[in-house]
Amino acid sequence: MDSGMISGIVTAAFVVVFIGIVWWAYSRGNKQRFEDAGRLPFEEDDAQGIPSQRDITPAKQGDKQ
Amino acid sequence: MEATTYNYKVVRQFAIMTVVWGIVGMLVGVILAAQLIWPDLTFGIEWLSYGRLRPLHTNAVIFAFGGSAMFAVSYYIVQRTCQVRLWAEKLAAFTFWGWMAVIVLAAITLPMGYTTSKEYAELEWPIDLLIAVVWVSYALVFFGTIIKRKVKHIYVSNWFFGAYILVIAILHIVNSAELPVTMTKSYSAYAGVQDAMVQWWYGHNAVGFFLTTAFLGMMYYFIPKQAGRPIYSYRLSVVHFWSLNFIYMWAGPHHLQYTALPDWAQSLGMVFSLMLLAPSWGGMMNGIMTLSGAWHKLRTDPILKFMVTALSFYGMSTFEGPMMSIKTVNALSHYTEWTIGHVHAGALGWVAMITIGSMYYLIPRLFGRESMFSTKLIEWHFWLSTIGVVLYIAALWIAGVAQGLMWRASNADGTLTYSFAQVLNTMYPFYGIRLLGGAMFFVGMLMMAYNVWKTVRLGRVVDDAPIPQAVHA
Repeated sequence: MDSGMISGIVTAAFVVVFIGIVWWAYSRGNKQRFEDAGRLPFEEDDAQGIPSQRDITPAKQGDKQ
Repeated sequence: MEATTYNYKVVRQFAIMTVVWGIVGMLVGVILAAQLIWPDLTFGIEWLSYGRLRPLHTNAVIFAFGGSAMFAVSYYIVQRTCQVRLWAEKLAAFTFWGWMAVIVLAAITLPMGYTTSKEYAELEWPIDLLIAVVWVSYALVFFGTIIKRKVKHIYVSNWFFGAYILVIAILHIVNSAELPVTMTKSYSAYAGVQDAMVQWWYGHNAVGFFLTTAFLGMMYYFIPKQAGRPIYSYRLSVVHFWSLNFIYMWAGPHHLQYTALPDWAQSLGMVFSLMLLAPSWGGMMNGIMTLSGAWHKLRTDPILKFMVTALSFYGMSTFEGPMMSIKTVNALSHYTEWTIGHVHAGALGWVAMITIGSMYYLIPRLFGRESMFSTKLIEWHFWLSTIGVVLYIAALWIAGVAQGLMWRASNADGTLTYSFAQVLNTMYPFYGIRLLGGAMFFVGMLMMAYNVWKTVRLGRVVDDAPIPQAVHA
């Protein structure tokens, strides 16, 4: 097997792995799980128990400027 | 009994030392920039000569400033997003004192001229051993905390920190394999082009995993917190994580274009460097888009300005880097000031600015304050650093391209058109602008130190930050 063949096989394998990762990240079954994980920084009180005005403000439409 | 509070002590120690080492490291940088204009600036004292101060500068800003920042934020974020107190707190305290010992030893041995001569890995073998012990302890504390977490998921920042801790351990241990001769002298276990390849596998991944992956973890926590909304796309951050880490590992050979390294390895390094653009920009967009719907905050919040400007510089330098890895561009840019400019676009623009922004978020919380002592000073700091970086990199772009063109110019008979001294002469004005830009950045750090000092004086030491006791699904 020459080096060109090896490069080809390795490249194909990498592409498959990448598509696999994207499929896994964007699959419907994992939607909820990733949304939950994304909210982790906000599932806490602020350091001193003082509620911070910075803590999560729900996204509003038309809030663009 | 189970702990009900977070360990802020070690976070606080590292956070304060981040500011201290930032000032020390950048001061040395300013001195070096001045030495390029006035070579006799330090009166010929050998300990202060350019060749000895230069590794001191790089080690201080990367490992002392950047390293302390990473310890601080990773210990803070891993506790707060896992909702548990740090695991093995004595070991965590050891990482602080051990890391400080490494820095002090570096500050003593490098000016004395003890060096392995490997870039970014100059420290001699006894210090290398200490680094390895501290780093393994760091890994134990970090992963131990992840294991005992109270929540189901592992937040994306912790994935980035985990990759950074793991990869830096491997890089350091492999690249520092050396045969000691005396206490202060060792020889690398590798020779010739293999040594060069191992060194730049280490060197580029130090950029990739220390200065990029680690600080992206910082970005993925502090930008959502400061903007008050979750990351734009958590799913994109997952793809970002895997593809960035996977591709970075192979880009090292671009430091060795047109050397004795086999041609295929050079091309491989170039191709992987070009591919890096995609995950880098994906991550940048993800961070910036987190502000969508909250853009107005950028007008009034200098902390967010720091963070978003950091991301812009990240995007810029991750475009510039792949471009410079292209062989024909590299033929012009390599060994010139352009490289130094590129490094500082990343190091000052991205790493330092995201760190400064995060510290302005973090420090008041560690000292029981709602915010820093003066927001106005943060605003000043922001503009000084931004203008400073722009001056710095613009000067070195022009200097670097001029240098490259002058070096390669040849006469009809094949002799060089310009002597080395002629090229050096052309550099002077640009060295001046670079010194100005660097000094502005440094002055900004002094303002930060004052602001932190006042904040600490007005605040109180927080050791009772409560862990939420709610039951999680």
